[in-house]
Order: sequence, then C-alpha cells, then structure tokens
Amino acid sequence: MTAELHCAHCDQETLHTLVYAGRLLVSTTCQTCQTQVKHEPGDLRIQYVKDLENRILTKPGRLWKRFWRSPVAVFWSFPKKTIEQPRKIWDEIKELFK
Amino acid sequence: MKEKLKVAVIVLAAGSGSRFGHATNKVWLPLSGRRIISRSLTNAVKSFPRCRAILVINPLDAALANQVITREASGIKVELVHGGETRHDSEYSALMHLASTIESGEIDVVIIHDGARPLATSKLFYEVALTAHRHGGALPAINVDPLEIDLRQDERIMRVQTPQAFRAKELLEAYRRANSDNFVGTDTSACMERYFPDIDNIAVAGEVHNVKITYPQDLVIAEHVLEMRGYKE
Repeated sequence: MTAELHCAHCDQETLHTLVYAGRLLVSTTCQTCQTQVKHEPGDLRIQYVKDLENRILTKPGRLWKRFWRSPVAVFWSFPKKTIEQPRKIWDEIKELFK
Repeated sequence: MKEKLKVAVIVLAAGSGSRFGHATNKVWLPLSGRRIISRSLTNAVKSFPRCRAILVINPLDAALANQVITREASGIKVELVHGGETRHDSEYSALMHLASTIESGEIDVVIIHDGARPLATSKLFYEVALTAHRHGGALPAINVDPLEIDLRQDERIMRVQTPQAFRAKELLEAYRRANSDNFVGTDTSACMERYFPDIDNIAVAGEVHNVKITYPQDLVIAEHVLEMRGYKE
C-alpha cells in the first residue's frame, strides 16, 4: 500500500510504501530517500501473536455481522476466503521474519 | 449528567495524494484493523446519539468511502459531502450542506474535526461541544514544551488541536461572509475570530495522544496508544 506522509529526512510530503502483517504495521519506507520506520521486530512478533489470537476469537462475530449486512456477498465469498486464509497468514508470518 | 446537545459533526477527509496521483490519502490507511477515518468518525459521534455526521471527502474517494462506511461504521448515518481545494472550502461545502438545518434551529453546535486525528476521545468531543454551546467557541489546546520554542518570546504558546466547536448560526454566518469577501482562514477559529471577534473562543484541555497522523512514526505511536486503550477508542 502507498500513501503520502511527511518524511522527516526529506522534510516534505513523499510517497511511502506501507507493509502490514494482519492488522499491524510492519514498516514504512520513503520512496524518495528509502528511510525506513519499523517496529522493533521482537516486540512486533509478540504483538502479532496477541493480535492473531484476537482476530481468531472475534472472527465469528465479525463474520456474522457482515453476513447480516450483505448475506449474498458473504455466502459467495466465504469458500474462496476460507481457502485463502492459511496462505494469507503464512505471508504475514514471512513478513515478520524478513 | 450529560446535557443533550443538538450537534452536527463535520469530519474533514478531503485531502488527497493529489501530487502523486495514485497515492492513498492517509485517512484511508488501516490503523490496528480499522481505517483511520472510521476511528475518527466513531469517536466523533459516540457522545451524541442523534447528531448529524458529515464526512467531507475528495470526490475521487467516493467509492472507497461508501465501502469503508458500510464495513466499519455501519451504525452511523454518515452524509458524504464533496470537499474543495482547501480546508476552508471543504468546511464551507459542509456548512452549506447543513445550512437549512442550522437556520431552522435544529443544530446548536457544529464540531469540526480533522479526519487524520483518530485518537481524539469521545470525552473531548463532548467537552468542546458543551463549551461552545455555553461560550460560543471551543478548541482543544496543549502547552508546548518550553524546549521547543523560542524563549525570547513573552507570549505563552499553545498547540491547538481539533475537534473545534462553534455555535452553529454564527459559524454559518462567518463562512458566508468569508465566501463573499474571498477570505480564506487557516483554520475554523481564524474565520470565526475575523467575523465574530466578540465571541469567546475557549481553550479546553487537549489530549497529548491526540496526534495528527503526519509522519510515518505517528502510525506506530497511534498503534501503541490504541493497544494501551484496549482498542476501545
């Protein structure tokens, strides 16, 4: 994902690449000067485990809410999203160990 | 006990990554599982169960805005208004959208909030609204660390935040007059002070954690603050 943020090094608004692992921000990189802002990796991994636990526990409730809002869309997207889930989590874990 | 205030909340999110064309406006970035803007909106309306909620967006973000509101702020009735070139223009568009309701007396206080401040608490929104209702205008301010400023200056310097709140009729009138005079204020209070200098604009205690997401580091700080708060606000 890219967004315009103020780079302290360039001292201007520049385009930044943002990398997330699940709901957590892993790093931001200024596309002009390559300055990177990161969470401390060990700290982030602990947070990720906590967050993943929370995501799993709250998933049924979130899915239920979404189902009531748009049942047809959820019904049709459910099998695809279920199959994709392990891959998605694997990608997030890889990102944490980069 | 909380006073029942007739409030409209205007959340500004019309800034864009226009210089870079395809960049995401930072208010649409995820922050601990929800978009920054949906956190700003939710906190803004929490203290006012029957308020009008206006989200001022860049017309290019309309589809994204609808998607995010449906998914993350479905309990809030959000009215979308297209913003202008400047913050002042966006505020004017939102006020024109509310004009008839303000004139009919259905809204007493208008709160204006920057969408890139997702950590302002609902308590702060209530405090500025109540203060504006009693005195005319209110804005949150925090002391600036003396190490950050030029100590040769005698005046006390404060850092001003949003949400800022004002009596609705005066605010509407100020923006109408500013429009006919081609006056563009740096923020809402600048416009009010120009056209209604006699109205008290009271500083209420701001919140240290009420950061405006500007630097990449602000996103990391905001994540930590949300974790500290148990992702409640």
